Amino acid sequence: MPNMNFAQALNDAHKVEMERDANIYVAGEDVGVYGGIFGVTAGLLDQFGDKRVKDTPITESAIVGTAVGAATAGLRPVIELMFVDFIGVALDQLYNQAAKMKYMFGGKAKIPMVLRMTCGAGIGAAAQHSQCLEAMFMHLPGLKVVMPSTPNDAKGLLIEAIRDDNPVVFLEHKMLYALEGEVAEGDFTIPFGQADIKREGQDVTIVATANMVHTALSAAEKLAADGISAEVVDPRTLYPLDEEGIIQSVKKTHRLVIVHEEVKFAGSGAEIAAIVAEKAFDYLDAPILRVAAPFCPVPFSQPLEQAFIPSEEEIIDAVKKVME
Amino acid sequence: MDLTNEQLLDMYVTMNKIRTFENRVAELFADGKIPGFVHLYVGEEAVATGVCASLTDQDYITSTHRGHGHLIAKGGDIKLMMAELFGKKTGYCKGKGGSMHIADLNLGIMGANGIVGGGPPLASGAALACQYLGNDGVAVCFFGDGASNQGTTHEAMNLATCWKLPVVFVNENNMYGISSCTLNSMCVPNIADRAAAYDMPGVVVDGNDVIAVCEAAAEGISRARQGKGPSLIECKTYRHRGHFEGDPCAYREDSELEEWKEKDPIPRLEQKLMEIELLTDAKINEIKSGLQKDMADAEQFAEESPFPDVSELTEDVYT
Amino acid sequence: MSSVGIIANPASGTDIRRLVAYGSVFNNQEKVRIVRRILLGLEAAGVQQISYMPDYYGIVERALDALKTSMNILPLVFNAKADQRDSMRAAEILAQNGAGCIITLGGDGTNRVVAKGACNTPILPVSTGTNNVFPYMIEGTIAGLAAGLIAAGKVPQKEGTFTSTQLEVIVEQQLTDVAIVDAVVCDDIFIGSRAVWKMDKIKQVFLNRSSPASIGFSSIGGMLRSIAPHEPFSMVLELGQNGPTVTAPIAPGVVETVSVKNVRMMASGEEVALTHSPCVVALDGEREVEIKRGQQATIRLSTDGPLVVDVEQTMAYAMQKRIFASDVNIN
Repeated sequence: MPNMNFAQALNDAHKVEMERDANIYVAGEDVGVYGGIFGVTAGLLDQFGDKRVKDTPITESAIVGTAVGAATAGLRPVIELMFVDFIGVALDQLYNQAAKMKYMFGGKAKIPMVLRMTCGAGIGAAAQHSQCLEAMFMHLPGLKVVMPSTPNDAKGLLIEAIRDDNPVVFLEHKMLYALEGEVAEGDFTIPFGQADIKREGQDVTIVATANMVHTALSAAEKLAADGISAEVVDPRTLYPLDEEGIIQSVKKTHRLVIVHEEVKFAGSGAEIAAIVAEKAFDYLDAPILRVAAPFCPVPFSQPLEQAFIPSEEEIIDAVKKVME
Repeated sequence: MDLTNEQLLDMYVTMNKIRTFENRVAELFADGKIPGFVHLYVGEEAVATGVCASLTDQDYITSTHRGHGHLIAKGGDIKLMMAELFGKKTGYCKGKGGSMHIADLNLGIMGANGIVGGGPPLASGAALACQYLGNDGVAVCFFGDGASNQGTTHEAMNLATCWKLPVVFVNENNMYGISSCTLNSMCVPNIADRAAAYDMPGVVVDGNDVIAVCEAAAEGISRARQGKGPSLIECKTYRHRGHFEGDPCAYREDSELEEWKEKDPIPRLEQKLMEIELLTDAKINEIKSGLQKDMADAEQFAEESPFPDVSELTEDVYT
Repeated sequence: MSSVGIIANPASGTDIRRLVAYGSVFNNQEKVRIVRRILLGLEAAGVQQISYMPDYYGIVERALDALKTSMNILPLVFNAKADQRDSMRAAEILAQNGAGCIITLGGDGTNRVVAKGACNTPILPVSTGTNNVFPYMIEGTIAGLAAGLIAAGKVPQKEGTFTSTQLEVIVEQQLTDVAIVDAVVCDDIFIGSRAVWKMDKIKQVFLNRSSPASIGFSSIGGMLRSIAPHEPFSMVLELGQNGPTVTAPIAPGVVETVSVKNVRMMASGEEVALTHSPCVVALDGEREVEIKRGQQATIRLSTDGPLVVDVEQTMAYAMQKRIFASDVNIN
C-alpha cells in the first residue's frame, strides 16, 4: 500500500469518487485554484474542471444551502467550509434544512451531501478557528458525524460518506493533515458505525477520537512500560456510534477512559459514558473518567493553547486513577 | 401575452381552488381539527397561480410558511395536503411535517419552509442541479418581504448571479412580517430595487393581477431557461387574514384591509373573463360547486384516515 | 410668494422593461439624491415655498434629512393610495393652489398622469428611468434653478415654456385618456404587466412627437421624420407584414425592425379610428385603456397638452438678462 499523508488520502478519495460518479461536485471557499486551504482539494480543478470544482464567494449559508438544494435535485455535493467554527453562520441550512428534510417530508427526500470542515487546536489559530464541535452535530438527528484519525480511515470514510444518501458532517483535525501512513489503493470504503481498535490491551479501554487517538496511543506506550495494558478504541464515526464495539472492549477491560479535544462539559464523551453506564455498568470496576478540554474557548497564547489540549500526562493520570 | 382560453380558465380555477382550500382550513382550524400553526394565502392567490402557470413538473419551487397556495398552484394534491394538515398517516409527509413542511419532490415542490429565508439557498441549489445536469429545468424561489431582509436570501441571490443559475426569485410583498411593516423593516420602498446590487433584472408587478404576474414570471422563467441567469420579480400583494390563524391583526387598520379587498385578484379575473364571455354565471357556479365537492372529499379523506402509528416515530430520520 | 411643487414617483423605474429589455433598476435612493439637488437649485433661484406629493417611502423627507434650508417645505394633504392616482391628485391640488411650476421625477408614465392634473401649471419633468422621451435627462440642480426661475417669474412663461401637444383617446365619443408621447394599439385584451414589448402585437402607433435620437416607440416615426412636441400634427403608423421596414430602438437595448404598412400625418383636431377591437391601447409605453369588442374608438391630436418648461431656453434667458451675474464684461 502506498504511503501518503492525511490530506493526500482525502484528496485521493475525492478523485476516486469524482471519476466514478459524474454527479459529484466540489464547492467551497478556495477549493479550486488554491486547492483548499490545507491542500485537500489540490489538483481537482485541473483534473475535473470548473463545472465540478467550484470556488465560491465567502458565503457559508449559500454553500451549504445550495448543496442541500442540489442534493435534493439529483447531485452529490461534497462541500468544504474551511473551519468548523464557520458553521455558525450557516447552521440553519444544515440543521433545519438538510438534517430535518427527510423526516419532515415523511421520508421522501434524499440528501446525499458531505460537509467537510477542519477542526481542532494546535496551530495558534485562536478561538474562532480551532474549536471541536462534534457533540453539537451528534445532537442533531438526521446528520451523520465522521471523525477520522488516520490517512487510511480518512480515505475509506470519505468515500463511504460520499456514497451515503444522508447529509454527512466530515470533521478533519487540522493537526492530522501532515500525518503519514499506508493507504489502501483505489476504491475502498470503511463502513460507518464500526469502531477500530488502534491498540489492543487488557486492563483499560481508552476511547479517543481524531488527534487524541495518537496522544492516547503514545500514553498507552508509556503505560505499557509501567505494566498497564491499555486498549485504544477509535469510534471513527460518532453518529452512527459503534456502541457494541465500545461495550465489548469495556467488558474485556472493565475500565473506561474517554479522551477528546472538545470541551468536557456536554461533549461526545458524556454520551459515550452514559451509554456504557446504561448498558455495561455491571462490567465496570471503576468510575468512567473523561480527559477533555476545559470549558473555555480555545486560547491563542501557546502555553495556554497547550494547556487547553488534553495531554499524554493527563491520560496517563486518568488511567492510573481508574486502575487504583 | 398570448394566453389560451384554457390557460385563462385554469388560472381562474386554481385561484379559486386555493381560496376554497384556505377558507375551509380556517374553519377546520377554528373547530380544533387542525393543530399547530396555519398561515393562510387568502388574497395572494394570483402570485402562485401566475408564476406556476409557466412551470412544468421538471421545474422546482421552494416555498414558505405560507405555502398552501404554492403547492396547489404547482399541482399538489389537496387530499394529501388536507390529510397532512390533520396529522394523518396518509398525508404528504405521513403526518410528520404538517402545514409548514409539505413537499412533493415528484412535482418539484421542495417543501414549504418554517424558516423565513430558509428557501432561497435551496432554490439556488436546485437551479444549480438543473444547470449542472443540463435538463432545461428552472427553480422558482417564493419568498416574503420578511425573508428579503435575511442574509440567506442575499447570499442565494449573489451566488445565483455569480454562477448564472436558472432561478427566479419571486417576492411576495404583503407588507407585513407578522406585525412588522416593511416601512420600518427596509430602507428601500421596493424589494426589486435590491436586484441592482446583484446585477439582475428587478421588476415590480401588481401581485393582485394574475395576468401581470403571469407575464412577468413567463419572461423571468424563459430568461432563466435560456441560460441568461436569475431575475427578481416583486409582487405587491396583501394577506386578507392574519399572519397565522388566531392573529388579531391589531397592527393594521381595517380600512387598509378593505382597500386591498377591493383589489382582490379573484373577482378581478372573474370580471374580465365574463367580459370576454369565457365565464358565465352558470359556469362559475359549476366551478365553485365542483371545488366545494373536491374540498369535502379531501376533508372526508383526512377525517377518515388513520393517525400514524407511534411505532413510526423514529422512522424516516435516515435513508 | 413663489412656490414650486414636487411630484416624485417612488414606483417609477421598476417596471417589466428591466426584464424584457435592458432597462436599469432606478433605485429610490438615487431619486432622494436628485431631489436634494433640485431643492438646492430651487433655493438658489429664490423659491420660498415647496409643496410635495407624500409617498410611502418619503423621498422628499429623506432628501431633507441631509439639508439645511430656509424654504418652507410641506407635504400636500390628501388620502394617498400609493398608486398613479396620487400623482394626478397631487398635480390637481398644486394647480389649484397656484404653484408656479411642478417638478416631476419619473418616466413618461408618471408625466402623463401629472399632465392630466396640472392644468396650465408648467411642468419640469426630470427623468428617472431609461425609456423616456418626455422628461429631461438633466442634472437636478439645473432642474431646480430653471423651475425656480419660472415659478418666481424671473423668466416669463412665454420665454421659458412651450405647450406640448397630446393624443386623446376617445371611446364611444367620450374622452377617456391622454398620451403625451405615443399611443400604441395592441392586439391584446389584458393590461397585465402594462409595458409593451412584443412588436407583433402592435397594430397602430400614434405619435405626437418623434425624433431619430429618442428611445421607445416614437423612435419608429423618428427614423422617418422629426416632430417637435409643440408642432400641431402627429404621425400615424400602421404596422403589418410585408411592408417597407424601419429599424428603431423601441426599448433600452432593443433595436427592432418593423414592417410598416402605411404612414400618414394627422392634423390637430383630426380623428383616426382604431383598426382593432377588442384591443388595449398603451399610452406612453404602458397598457392603459381596454377597448372592448365592438366599441368604437378613435385617437385625436390636441394642441392643448401640458405646459412644459424648456430648460435650455429658460437658462439662456437667465443668461441674457444676467440673472446670475452682475455687470461682467467679456473682454
